[in-house]
Amino acid sequence: MSNIAGKAYAMNVVTPIRWYMVWINRLIFKIALSRPSTLKGLITLSLIHYARWVIIPKDGFPHLHPSQPKENLHYSYMLFFSNFNGSWDQYVDSFTFAIPSGLDLFWKWNIRYPKSVPLTPFHDYIKYNQIDTAHYYSAYPMAASNDVKSAKIVKKALIDFKSASIEKNPDEFLIDYNNLLNELQLEFGEMRPTPIVSLSADAVKQRYLQSQSHHYI
Amino acid sequence: MATKSGNATALTVLSPIKNGTMGEISYADITRERCLRLPIHENSPLAKVPNTYLARLFILDDVFYESLPGSDSVFNFSDIFSFFSDQARRDALPKIDHLKSKYLVFSSNFHGDLNEYLAGMWENWTYNDQGIQHDVRYIWEHCVAFDEVTDCNSFISYIKRCQLDASLFFNGSTDDSLQEQLKALYLKQEFTKFVTTHQGKSAIEIQQAFKRFIERVQPENLSGPSWIPGQSNP
Repeated sequence: MSNIAGKAYAMNVVTPIRWYMVWINRLIFKIALSRPSTLKGLITLSLIHYARWVIIPKDGFPHLHPSQPKENLHYSYMLFFSNFNGSWDQYVDSFTFAIPSGLDLFWKWNIRYPKSVPLTPFHDYIKYNQIDTAHYYSAYPMAASNDVKSAKIVKKALIDFKSASIEKNPDEFLIDYNNLLNELQLEFGEMRPTPIVSLSADAVKQRYLQSQSHHYI
Repeated sequence: MATKSGNATALTVLSPIKNGTMGEISYADITRERCLRLPIHENSPLAKVPNTYLARLFILDDVFYESLPGSDSVFNFSDIFSFFSDQARRDALPKIDHLKSKYLVFSSNFHGDLNEYLAGMWENWTYNDQGIQHDVRYIWEHCVAFDEVTDCNSFISYIKRCQLDASLFFNGSTDDSLQEQLKALYLKQEFTKFVTTHQGKSAIEIQQAFKRFIERVQPENLSGPSWIPGQSNP
């Protein structure tokens, strides 16, 4: 079991929302989608790979067969799934400090949402409504979201540089090469499992080995 | 559609698990155990499913409610009625919900088209657990109506029946194909090493080494030297 896959953390939060307030949330999400500037705060945080909000209407849980009992719920439910880098605290706190109003807007209509400031009630709210992941996979456990974005820049610059400068005379080549390094200096960085990730990865490995050692099915 | 962001897609699937037990163990616990036992990183069956960026599986046992009382900014006025009737105050408190089924939740972020992706899951999802080879049916086996799934097409339509649309999908990364992302990461890693190794060397040395480097890493060749999906060590 793990919420961690290398540098990525999987968060699942399920919170109730009054069914008659769902349309307001949907409207807010729609506005956020149509005006990318509203998501600027999230983009600035830059530690998120992908995140999503899903609203399940109170009668919207998948019902596949007459033998399956129909759900009878008071509330609709909002699912929030995020893939981010860093620790749980860093993530939750960065939301509180960087985009408290945006966060409140998305969760405002959820039952007894305590608001993102002050911090402790917000921590409790997320903690108590969070569900652990059984299996989490990242295609690049050594890379943070920023690595994926910077790698794209490096790749393009490298290909452009190769076409433009590789056959120049050595002195001109060196000038271009140094310019390239100047341009890319913020994008460089070797990726490895960091010590913190290794501890987490070790915990994952231990749990995995433990689960391998007993097999009751 | 909110489920897409450029070429990136957010797939959210809630498959109800049959109520009942096999021996003394509930179907939900059997499914959970199977998810827990999936190999990780490059050995995960998801590493074989083309174009999976990040994905997860978990069991939604129930819906939970937990929060501080009295913090609801709009509906607190109902507390005023408590002056007149304690029942009114209690009626205004949050209700407790319980699910009648447990759900297998599968959430994936991937590149490209949904049908193609699901076909990729059906065809490529395979892993070995203590010498026994399992395909994707092993995880979904105890879900309601999954016995109707017999081939790729019926798998795709089953997953679509369990699919929920995202209201908002935020892409904080790129929407390139996974092959493209992995190649870029490989190049970033290798070029960073190249730069540090050749710091301070003469122009001609760097140029010659750079030519050999380009030959080795083949920047434009996506199927050439690259990281493998789920690679956990340099």
